[in-house]
Amino acid sequence: MKPLLTLDFVAETMKEWGTAEQVRHNRIRITATPETVRTAIINARELLECDRLITISAVDNGKTLELVYHLTGPHRSVISIAIELPRDKPEVPTMSDILPPAGIYERQIHDLLGIVFPGHPDLKRIMLNEDWPLEEYPLRKDWKKDPGTFYGGIPGERI
Amino acid sequence: MANVIVPIGPHHPALKEPVNFRIVADGERIVRLELDLSYNHRGIEKAAEQRDFIRVLPLLERVCGICSHSHSTVFVKGIEEIMELEIPPRARFIRTIIAELERMHSHLLWLGVAAHEVGFNTLFMWTWRDREAVQDTLEEMSGNRVHYGMNEVGGIRRDLTPSEVNAALARLPHLEERIREYAKMVNDQETLLIRFKGVGKLSRDEALAYGAVGPTARASGVDYDIRRDDPYLAYTVVPWNVVTDTSGDVYGRTRVRIGELQESIKIVRHCLENLPEGPIRVNAPKTAPKGEILSRYEAPRGELAHFIRTNGTDKVERVDIRTPTLANWTSVALCLVNQNLADIPVIVAAIDPCLSCTSRITVVNPKDRTTGIVTFDELRKQSHLRASMQERR
Amino acid sequence: MAAPVSSLSQRLVNWARQRSPWITLFNSGACNACDIEIIACLMPRFDIERFGILVKGSPRHADILIVTGHVTLKQASRLRRVWEQIPEPKYVIAMGACGASAGAFHGLYHVMDTVEQVIPVDIYVAGCPPRPDEIINGVVACLNLMSADAAHGGKEWRQKTSAGIPHTDGAPGVTR
Repeated sequence: MKPLLTLDFVAETMKEWGTAEQVRHNRIRITATPETVRTAIINARELLECDRLITISAVDNGKTLELVYHLTGPHRSVISIAIELPRDKPEVPTMSDILPPAGIYERQIHDLLGIVFPGHPDLKRIMLNEDWPLEEYPLRKDWKKDPGTFYGGIPGERI
Repeated sequence: MANVIVPIGPHHPALKEPVNFRIVADGERIVRLELDLSYNHRGIEKAAEQRDFIRVLPLLERVCGICSHSHSTVFVKGIEEIMELEIPPRARFIRTIIAELERMHSHLLWLGVAAHEVGFNTLFMWTWRDREAVQDTLEEMSGNRVHYGMNEVGGIRRDLTPSEVNAALARLPHLEERIREYAKMVNDQETLLIRFKGVGKLSRDEALAYGAVGPTARASGVDYDIRRDDPYLAYTVVPWNVVTDTSGDVYGRTRVRIGELQESIKIVRHCLENLPEGPIRVNAPKTAPKGEILSRYEAPRGELAHFIRTNGTDKVERVDIRTPTLANWTSVALCLVNQNLADIPVIVAAIDPCLSCTSRITVVNPKDRTTGIVTFDELRKQSHLRASMQERR
Repeated sequence: MAAPVSSLSQRLVNWARQRSPWITLFNSGACNACDIEIIACLMPRFDIERFGILVKGSPRHADILIVTGHVTLKQASRLRRVWEQIPEPKYVIAMGACGASAGAFHGLYHVMDTVEQVIPVDIYVAGCPPRPDEIINGVVACLNLMSADAAHGGKEWRQKTSAGIPHTDGAPGVTR
């Protein structure tokens, strides 16, 4: 099996697109920006041999929305590429053409947090029911259920 | 949140709702796969942010009714790592025992369901009867057949008494013999061979590119197993092997799962015989320091990933759950293209979906643009019809 | 209260219904543990079929509807539709803690509070998940309820309590 990637190697290779830090013996976190993240991922695939996407995690930390792309490869290290997006207009280009599994995760994140992925072939509902009002993103920290709105279920029933 | 909870979805023999397969056949070929997970969505991730570390565990356990221990363990080990807690070896071993027993009951369950999909009901009855031995062991150890509730931050909640250990060890030889029978059956039985071989083929490159995990990927020769690649619990001190296969079809996945069953029995036996003495928990602080972790675990279906962010309080800021079925779903879509209608139940069942019956396959007749709705029941009947026709040949 | 049933053909029909009830299942968004325990009931160890109970798919042929899971917002209207398709007399068994009060998921944003909000429930089976023996017990209680209802000529004798839930001890004629 191949050895784990070292921090120096990763920092050196990815220095144009983000800063790297070692957060665990087998995980290196790279902080990038929404503009550089797509190139960072393409280069992580080629130069760092990260050909598998584990998942895309999305967090609302109260101030901004964060996205973390976790990649891994035959070296078994995890490379996490993290970006921050503004709350009022969170947009980042889609990765579903370079990493096919990203399509499903991006759809999920869009449904629950409202991040838009221009270029995604099919960004429609996946987690919430069809009656759920648009523009209501349940996983945002400032979202609360509005007693007057109908969110699905049986019309007229208390839910 | 990926409340893609478990469930044995559409190929559940007695579950008839709510599955709609919109099938459009170009002849009999499928063109596109749609996915709708809202049937099972509950809002667990949001609720987890409002519960402290004791109250959140029962909720996370009930994400899935088959891999409940997986969800609870992966969360708890992530929190323990953020807190920099070292749990005692006895707790580590007992968590491993429960984890492997869970894997066994899940694979036996899958074997029965897959056999049912091709009309082989005898195997269905046999595997589920043998599965009862595993359920009895789990019930003796934890008090419940499902949703064991064994984990807490800092260790486990119940200890194993020597009589429970001996009772569990006594059940293993019979189970081992039965699994050997099933391995032979899968190699020899004509019905299974014809329906499983060559069906739902996923090449190694496709499995890598589409992010397949677990037995689905390992059957295509992709050698990833989190128990070896990112070890946790007792997997570094117990001798065991990763099971892979190269055929990439449903037959290969069956062989991988049966191989994993045999490995699991070995791991459980080793852990029970070499259970270290000592405490079962350490005192854990009430709050976790600020931190972030990607905690991974090899659930029966594949790699389960919890991304946990803590903020210094006694609740998590975020837990983002990525279940293995979601990772495998794209590869299923690929497998279904250009396959026969009657093979759909088998192919969908082969990834062992822990997913509600919400997938929709849309197929458009290119000639006259009509769509038709076929229920899963009708598909299964076609699947059984095919099986009986082949037997008569 | 309606006059007790006395014609021979009606008694024959009631007897047949209780001897061989057909069950249809509906998973309203559960974690699936209850569904697996129901399937375990069909397996050789617990073998519900020796009681003449058959699990059939179509709601139009069913006597008993078993609902597993807390009802998600997506499944609510579908559950109502399935229930409407079942011909009278129909009985509903709500499984587990989720069926009674949404269990561990009470108050979550995509979940209704209980099955009773969508369809009327006759029997609740407790557990998370209920053991197969408890499920069989629940089905047998439902059969007893069926015979009690048949003896009283319908369901009207079961007065709804102020809590809105009809409750019997399983013994016919006892209501609370």
